[in-house]
Amino acid sequence: MNFKIMSVVFKKEIKDMFRDKKTIILGILIPLLIFPVMYGFMGKSMEDSQEKVQKNLKIAIKDEGNSSFNEYIKSQENITIIKSQDLKKDVQDGKIYAGIEIPKDFDDSIKNDKQVELKIVYDDASQNSSMAMDIIKSMADTYSKGVVKERLIKMGVDESILTPMVIKEDIVAKEKTNVGRMILSMMLPLFLIIYSISSPMAAATDLGAGEKERGTLEPLLTTKASRMNLLFGKFFAITLMGLIGTIASITGLLISFKTSPSLFGGDASVVFPAKTLIIIAALTIFVTMIFGALELSVSIYARSFKEAQTYLSPLSIVGMAAAFSTYMIDVKDISPVYLNIPIVNISVVLKEIINGIYNPMHIILTFVWSGVYITISILFARYMFSKEEVIFRT
Amino acid sequence: MIEIKNLSKEFKNIKAVDDISFKVSNGEIVGLLGENGAGKTTTLRMIATMLKPTGGTAAINGFDLVKEPDMVRSQIGILFGGEVGLYDRLTARENIKYFADLNNMDDKEADKNIKELTELLGMEEFIDRRVGKFSRGMKQKVAIARSIVHKPSVMLFDEPTIGLDVTSSVIVQDFILSCKKNNRAIIFSSHSMQEVEKLCDRIVIIHKGKIIEDSTIEDLKEKYSGNLEEVFVRLVGGKDEL
Repeated sequence: MNFKIMSVVFKKEIKDMFRDKKTIILGILIPLLIFPVMYGFMGKSMEDSQEKVQKNLKIAIKDEGNSSFNEYIKSQENITIIKSQDLKKDVQDGKIYAGIEIPKDFDDSIKNDKQVELKIVYDDASQNSSMAMDIIKSMADTYSKGVVKERLIKMGVDESILTPMVIKEDIVAKEKTNVGRMILSMMLPLFLIIYSISSPMAAATDLGAGEKERGTLEPLLTTKASRMNLLFGKFFAITLMGLIGTIASITGLLISFKTSPSLFGGDASVVFPAKTLIIIAALTIFVTMIFGALELSVSIYARSFKEAQTYLSPLSIVGMAAAFSTYMIDVKDISPVYLNIPIVNISVVLKEIINGIYNPMHIILTFVWSGVYITISILFARYMFSKEEVIFRT
Repeated sequence: MIEIKNLSKEFKNIKAVDDISFKVSNGEIVGLLGENGAGKTTTLRMIATMLKPTGGTAAINGFDLVKEPDMVRSQIGILFGGEVGLYDRLTARENIKYFADLNNMDDKEADKNIKELTELLGMEEFIDRRVGKFSRGMKQKVAIARSIVHKPSVMLFDEPTIGLDVTSSVIVQDFILSCKKNNRAIIFSSHSMQEVEKLCDRIVIIHKGKIIEDSTIEDLKEKYSGNLEEVFVRLVGGKDEL
């Protein structure tokens, strides 16, 4: 091993890639911005739509009997009553969000303890109309409860008879938890693995098949540098580029968690302790190294850039499938089998530590296995790099 | 000095190079002639240690190519024809320096050699520009400088003028002659009889992996009475008929 030569190759590859605008845009800028922009737009349009409906609920009421429910609705805030001859048509045209049809004998029926049918006309294809429907339903519900209460009082019965059981939630968690955090614990391992697999791909394609296609590989092999030094220089450059891509993507994801919390079930701001961050970083580096070496092996086998991309797709699908397999897994009940399956074990430990579970056995086992996978991947890359039929496969 | 001893290479039962032996002294240009697929490139790749021989060996300045491949590579420079294989996003200087570094040169020596080569090849105007937009001739100059920056004593040329225009071909030919003047041992593989006649002291004709002739151009012409092209066709064709 000649570290000087390895660092020469490493530095040259990094310089070369950073001068490529395509690498900067596709590998760093887009992963960094795609989620904040995408979720930003989604969140904004959802919030706008919600605000629009909540602040000005445009509805029409068809009520021949001038019922008390009609009065109740009118008394609510932010309601705009619009006159309508044809409820269905006006809902469809978007003139009103929803229409309410109150039967003529509404008040009489309520008075005589009968059940009344209230008809709400809405368009389930329209988000605004669906939201209006929910608001009207909740108004009707509140009104119903009031009627039930009156009826029970009239009958001399305590209203608590309707709720024989009251549930008091007592959450067992070390820290305050919320839906956002749960979503994060499901998504973060998945995204970390997917990005660690996909981020080194562009660099691996360029440094293997790209060299072959440009005709730069052969001159490189005629220098005094040994193939192993060339391979390791390239491998470390691929790993670094992969990590930069992963960090950009995860930063983008975390920014969107912060800027669009409504899309992730509320505030997802989680501060991880240092040991969690160290383990997350180590596991991310391991996956990047494993796939960086495998992708370089495949890339060096390919005749061209295009061929390398074709071969690399199935490889990434296998890795992603392993990550997906643990998406819904319960971290409190992990089968030992999972801890011996490549990538699956990394995903499981990531889930555990994000949820604040530190099982030393699981962590050590996964680290040891990761070391084995990295060694195997590098040995495979070494084998491919030293094989004449692979290097001169044109 | 190159000394090839019974060198062979077999690919899946096909003998690409079959037991060839010849020598190239310092200050001598030996032309390696042969048709496509005759085994010229395989021979050069073996001498450059890119391919491992399946039989025989070669000594480059006394270093055995099987036992000391790293030392062999430090002795040789190689210039390929066709695509010159430069890094487009690096400058001409960075391309040359990369190869100097890979050949384990220290910075001072590398910078000195690059300066000399820049002047020698007239690259002052573009040495610090990225090679992506260079003309073929400019790229060829950079490739030449890259092949010789570590001052090798043995030069291998694999059809270096293929696809080049006249001006660029002349640059390469002049470079080969300057290598001879500097007492380097040179193997020059080509298809062009005029180039071989112009540059080489001796020629080795290779056909289906075997050497079928190894002598000076004068001796060949005298022996087979004809110009080099006619001699080559007769020799290669004659072997085919056999």
